[in-house]
Amino acid sequence: MTLDANGNGSGESAPLDASPPTPTDEFVGQWRDAAYNCFSSGHKFCREVCPVTQVTRNDTWTPTAFHANVVAMDKGELDIADIAEDYVNCTQCGACELRCPNTLFTGDFYRFRTRTVDLVKSVRTLAVDSGIHQPKWQRWNELTDQRTHEPVLGDQPVGQDKVRDWADGLGIPIGGDDILFVDCEAAFYRTSVSRAVAQLLQMAGHEFGLMEEQWCCGGPAAEMGYRDQAMRFARHNLDNWKASGAKRILVLDPHDYITFTEDYPRYFGAEFDLEVVLVIELFAQYIREGKLTPHVPIERTITYHDPCRLNKRKGVWKEPREILRSIPGLVFNDVDRVTQWAYCSGGGGGLPIEKPELTRLISASRLEKAKEQAVDTLVSACPWSERPLAEAGTAHGIDVVDLHELLAESLGIIVGGQRGAQ
Amino acid sequence: MIDPLPQTTVDAVVQALLRVLPPDEVLTSKTDRMNRARVPAPFPVHRWGERVPDLVVLPRSSAGVAHAVKVANDFKIPIVPRDGGTGLTDGAMPERRGIVLDLKRLNEIHEIDLENRTATVGVGINMLKLNEVLSPYGLIYPDDPASYPCSLIGGRIGTSGWSLIGSRYGHSRDLVLSFEMVTPTGEIIFIGDGGGQKVSKSSSGFQLKHLFMGHQGTLGIATRATLKLHPKPEAEFSAFWAFSDFDTAYKTVGALARAGIATFGGAVLFDEWKVEYLRRDDEAYIPQPSSVRALVCAAAYGNEDETRAGGKRMMGIVHRLGGRYLGDEISQGDWAARHDRYATPLHGRTLNGQAALMGWHCEDAAINYTNLPAVRIAWHEIIERLRRKHDLFDDWGMFSYTSGNTGVDYLTEIDVGIWEQHLKEESWLAFVDAKREIAAVALAHGGSISACHGSCREGEVDLVPQELGGGYDVMLAIKKVMDPNNIMNPGKYGLDRAYA
Repeated sequence: MTLDANGNGSGESAPLDASPPTPTDEFVGQWRDAAYNCFSSGHKFCREVCPVTQVTRNDTWTPTAFHANVVAMDKGELDIADIAEDYVNCTQCGACELRCPNTLFTGDFYRFRTRTVDLVKSVRTLAVDSGIHQPKWQRWNELTDQRTHEPVLGDQPVGQDKVRDWADGLGIPIGGDDILFVDCEAAFYRTSVSRAVAQLLQMAGHEFGLMEEQWCCGGPAAEMGYRDQAMRFARHNLDNWKASGAKRILVLDPHDYITFTEDYPRYFGAEFDLEVVLVIELFAQYIREGKLTPHVPIERTITYHDPCRLNKRKGVWKEPREILRSIPGLVFNDVDRVTQWAYCSGGGGGLPIEKPELTRLISASRLEKAKEQAVDTLVSACPWSERPLAEAGTAHGIDVVDLHELLAESLGIIVGGQRGAQ
Repeated sequence: MIDPLPQTTVDAVVQALLRVLPPDEVLTSKTDRMNRARVPAPFPVHRWGERVPDLVVLPRSSAGVAHAVKVANDFKIPIVPRDGGTGLTDGAMPERRGIVLDLKRLNEIHEIDLENRTATVGVGINMLKLNEVLSPYGLIYPDDPASYPCSLIGGRIGTSGWSLIGSRYGHSRDLVLSFEMVTPTGEIIFIGDGGGQKVSKSSSGFQLKHLFMGHQGTLGIATRATLKLHPKPEAEFSAFWAFSDFDTAYKTVGALARAGIATFGGAVLFDEWKVEYLRRDDEAYIPQPSSVRALVCAAAYGNEDETRAGGKRMMGIVHRLGGRYLGDEISQGDWAARHDRYATPLHGRTLNGQAALMGWHCEDAAINYTNLPAVRIAWHEIIERLRRKHDLFDDWGMFSYTSGNTGVDYLTEIDVGIWEQHLKEESWLAFVDAKREIAAVALAHGGSISACHGSCREGEVDLVPQELGGGYDVMLAIKKVMDPNNIMNPGKYGLDRAYA
């Protein structure tokens, strides 16, 4: 047997008949070895860090089960109709991948790492492609398709005519080398985040513009299995950037950061030659360089919520702490990033759409952890986490603010905007 | 092969369960059932479908557990408790289908008694998570299996677990003071010493705690346990030493275990096959010169002054015997990674040296110190013969761990790589034969078939009556009295003989 760079071998268990492979065959062929790598060891070290498992204690919805099901499909015991609904129960936070001993200790040999998030996305895609839909996700993506943005305000309209409303009065031009991409949640729901980011960039003297016609990044559709729609949206955005001569995309939302740095390069290959800049890293740099100097004391006792897509999936944990430590007046009761592998807001991977009750349990659990730190404020850096966390925070009297909002306030900026629906 | 229950029976069982349990505690989907039919490698994946339970119960209370057991009794169908599902002897595998009772929702911490130093918990809690809560109080529950980040208290009771630092703190049976248990007929009883559940030693009545630990779910279901807590150690000493031959390493591990050091947490001997395997295929292994043929590591825990003194004494012992200290980075790093590394290999080698995706299996025994060298040779020969019959297996070497603080006996394990994707019935049966031979070697050398995992898996289970002598007949008698309908994890340990 030979092994490729991903540790995949030409196993004898591959189908030998001559009929063309079905999408399920292709899926199993793609994931068989990774599934056995998990199945054969049976570690389950992922279980206690999984946010869904923590609140449901249901082994059917663990990363281990998500891999084992592929083995069962390979053995003809299960098919996509049997498993599709289970894969709703994942926030795609990536904790399981980090906690997997296969990632931690054996990666070098094969250049292998456990990729549960990609596996979950693949199952969801196979389900949608097989005509198996989760009703709320289906509706969500239909509305997104109609409106070119996610229906984050429920029945209230979102769309092209309103996508730049958050920037009223800020005098931001259209186009330019650097484009600030504002995700749907920050553009329509928590507009204080986007206003804070824009004004911070302006204060630092960083020239930027907005897109001529911004659509949803497509990432959520990809996360829910609607890959074709995701690719259509991505194509629109890329064409729009190219047409305007953009060179860099400034990103404030960790979910967008994943989409632009992982999904878009996969879709477009070398054609996607734009630089993607996470503004939180930029602001930390500007503080280091003295371009931004927080000086207005913020009298709060805080802890920081490491957004999963920054900490667990992109390894960005230093800069947010650097920024928070630069803000005068804050009492910062930090919890280390590795402990936070087990923390999550429950706001990712489409979970709040299809199973809001699980999101509520996960965010409540996160606020319990914050409460142990005796804080009045939980700071996050992800708009998608802030809605469920803020709802859970109400019960504990803990305010949930965005790091960018806090930084802007400490720079004397009157942020404006909304921290939720009006 | 046992057929699934008729759907009409399943429906009736579900209805009976739902008379007390809420709907989200009774699971019937295919994935719910499939994912509670498997245990860690080597699982005979080609037989997965034969062991799928008919339904799953995921209760939140002892009363819920008791109700499910009563329903199983009413219908006379099997019921199999399952905690972490990380055990290596199939205890949580439903051999005869029926109901799998998954206990993970019983994960509450009911009480932390800071004065008496106890914690009372639901059995669905994991030790690492418990210790996160205990840490601010300066306390620890020091039950430390390789599966520490994922195994659960209930499984530790059901298997009478073994701890890596048991030489210092004892093993599960020493650390669990008492527990609440649902009997096979559905009564909730208390097992342990003292009416208040927190006594560590009594002479009153039969000592039932040992009987109801390690039965692999055949005699009842623990639901809540009171645990003995220790002060969180101020200091940890860990050291790895290299040796140019096995014999010196063997002498060294014995000398460490016999030294009477109060903080001694445990010592581990790596044999030549293990070192060779690590050198060959373990990317996390920091390469040592080829002159290194065996390794020893040891750990100590306690107050800083005591641990420092104990460590110094150990360093002196090993130095005098010729061991070479491998430095702080390896010593501290490898010991800290002891849990994550227990099942990490993704690959082994076929006879011609080709890399192959292999899963890990570990076959264990309890062996006295003086018999370790002979058992080691015999076990490696067994695996070599197996490899030559079926080129799907690889010898990943042996560890021997001290079980206690006098060096009397060792948890001895041989790690076997298995190319599971290619496992068929013939090669599986050959592996089962090898397991039986491994167990026979342990018995021939005065040992036990298992120090750690249990011995109810195919192969070794055949030799349990031989190991226990007349005690096995007592097991059969107790089983029949406790479980008149043979519903509690039937098929395990050959206990069906009680009903013949």
